[in-house]
Amino acid sequence: MAKYILKRVLMAVITLFIVICLTFFLMNAVPGNPWLSEKTPTQATIDALNAKYGLDQPVIVQLGKYLENLLHLDFGTSIKMQKDRPVLDIILTMFPISAGIGAIAIIWAILVGVPLGCLAAYKRGTWVDSLLRVICTLGISMPGFVVATMLLHILTGGIEGLKLFPTMFDGTAKSYVLPCLALGFYPMCYLSRQTRTAMLDAINQEYIKTARAKGLKNKKIIFKHALRNALIPVITYLGPQIAFTLCGGFVVEKVFSIPGLGRYFVMSIQNRDYPLIMGTTIFLAAFIIVMNLIVDLLYKLVDPRINLAKGGN
Amino acid sequence: MAEKKKKQPFGSLRPDVDDILDWNNLPQDAFEPASSAEKESFIQDRESVSYWKDAWRRLRRNRVAMVAMVIVILIGLFAFVGPLIVPYTYDQVIPGANNIHPWHYSLEDQAAIDAYIEEHTGTANLSPDEAVAQAEAEAEARGETLSPVEAAKIRATAKANQGKGEENVTEKDAAKALGIKVKPFGYTQAELERMAAGESVFPHVFGCDNQGRDIMVRTMIGARVSMIVGICCAIIVLVIGALYGSISGYCGGKVDAVMQRIVEIIYTIPEVLVILLLGSTLKPIFEEFQNSGDGFLQQMVTLLGANLISIFITFGLLYWVTMSRLIRGQILQLKQQEYVTAARALGASGGRIIKRHLLPNCIGQIVTTTFLQIPSAIFTESFLSFLGMGVTAPMTSLGSMCSDALGGLNTYPYRLFIPAAILSLMILCLNLFGDGLRDALDPRLKK
Repeated sequence: MAKYILKRVLMAVITLFIVICLTFFLMNAVPGNPWLSEKTPTQATIDALNAKYGLDQPVIVQLGKYLENLLHLDFGTSIKMQKDRPVLDIILTMFPISAGIGAIAIIWAILVGVPLGCLAAYKRGTWVDSLLRVICTLGISMPGFVVATMLLHILTGGIEGLKLFPTMFDGTAKSYVLPCLALGFYPMCYLSRQTRTAMLDAINQEYIKTARAKGLKNKKIIFKHALRNALIPVITYLGPQIAFTLCGGFVVEKVFSIPGLGRYFVMSIQNRDYPLIMGTTIFLAAFIIVMNLIVDLLYKLVDPRINLAKGGN
Repeated sequence: MAEKKKKQPFGSLRPDVDDILDWNNLPQDAFEPASSAEKESFIQDRESVSYWKDAWRRLRRNRVAMVAMVIVILIGLFAFVGPLIVPYTYDQVIPGANNIHPWHYSLEDQAAIDAYIEEHTGTANLSPDEAVAQAEAEAEARGETLSPVEAAKIRATAKANQGKGEENVTEKDAAKALGIKVKPFGYTQAELERMAAGESVFPHVFGCDNQGRDIMVRTMIGARVSMIVGICCAIIVLVIGALYGSISGYCGGKVDAVMQRIVEIIYTIPEVLVILLLGSTLKPIFEEFQNSGDGFLQQMVTLLGANLISIFITFGLLYWVTMSRLIRGQILQLKQQEYVTAARALGASGGRIIKRHLLPNCIGQIVTTTFLQIPSAIFTESFLSFLGMGVTAPMTSLGSMCSDALGGLNTYPYRLFIPAAILSLMILCLNLFGDGLRDALDPRLKK
């Protein structure tokens, strides 16, 4: 186990390093520079600005310096969007908003998706199953922005008399409803499909036959024996799903004008604010990688039969 | 005799005694040699059923998959043939067509509506001074005087109403009051006049956008971009994934170990972040390259468009991993089979074994995975375009059309819903057809 954890952590660090280097070189390969937008500055001004932010040195030197600073949790300062404000400070004020919406979304997705999947498996072959299958297939075929804009249009006054929620995000509980609903819809459908497959798999297992032979009640068989085992494969999907929800936030944050990290990340790319792009990418990447790592390790805790050290799939 | 037979439980191994005794009662002529005509009719010539024919037969029985296929073909026709039929182009600005709806009023109706609006907005459109004068006159008639506070109030409301006045009676209200019904398809004023003169004009079926560009053509081009992106990305993923996976699986040992570590690392890279980053950084790089000269490569870039190439590269770099894992797994399993050993004993080279023996045996899975890559690529492309990092103006895609429509969502909801519906329908049908394909090509997987 210890060896496995060590291996995974090492892997995660290497991945993060690759992401950092990739981001860094890409940023530097882009033609144009961050000073171009407003008035075209003179060459002397550009040189002075480059010297101030260390952009005049060779790329490798810049990368080395950046990595060194990163070890001290110094992400540098923003050079354009919010001039001279530390990047870490910006991230820490924006991330909680995104994380809050993402967390609520994933929680409702689990709370609704898993029971729906169970229901579909339990009522297999009936109209309930068919209906749920249609909804879920539709749900995973609609891009996030379609769901988000449809909700936005229908529930904020597009249809007369249905102005239930505010259009703009203002931090009140009511304004959280739509973004969370939109963000959690895809994972909900996905989880429900996965749960259904896993449940059907579990129901055909020998231990369910044994449980039936023992004369256990149907409910007990479903919840205690089938569901518990069916949840194991579902957990594997949770890691990427959390990452997806966080990134799906890009779209939802744009549609509902939420001042979150996802929208800011996109804006910083469009504005070529190098330190900010680097900072947000590294932060989000680290978050996603750690999340995946945690879910993988949880997997082992939930099902002791899985022997991770031997590279079990 | 038949009723004497005991019913045996299904699958019982006990011999059926009655049946065996029955054999003694065979007719005398039961063992006569067959005539040559009988022999002829016994041998039936059937064409051998190939793997693909068999799969097609299974696929045809799957009703959902067939409906999905028909819809995909229809969308394909819409996207590829449609622009040839419609006389407008995706970047053509039609004069006077700004913001026209996908419906219209005939010329006489329009005139009636305009007159109605003018008539009914007249009263509401008093200037503040006029309003005060009117109120004073009314007050005098009642024998009172108007206090300065009240006058100021009236002035303020009149001022506030002034701008709104014209919007108080909208076209919709006017049409309702006059009992005029809308006719489908949008036409500009000039086009309506030309039609009245007897010319035939192609309608703007979905209306026009705020710059006067025909939305239907833009939707067609957008769907075409989505399909091209989907198919090209699937091919790129197939080529890289199949090569990498089969080499890794076939070589095994240290080569496999190293190659799989690389795969694992790419697998853990948060793809959406990198896609956003690559999508936005590769584009300017390619644009610069495109403008740098006039060589063959530059012309290729111009032909395909810088942004499409950057999307292809992004996909090529990240999405082959799943494919390569799948193929490696299959090859690892297949290379233990006897026929591979036999081929090796006969002296076949590694490349030949991969090409002739290993790949054809996992073709079903490869085709399915490649096909399912198409909707996922379309999904990602629309996501990129929606965020403004995919296909850029004047080129369009379904994602960027949705993004453009966000601004006027309340007034022009159809501008968002038409491309969104086509996009969702396309992804849905591709997914359903892919599922059907999987069941048909690999019946073992069916649950």
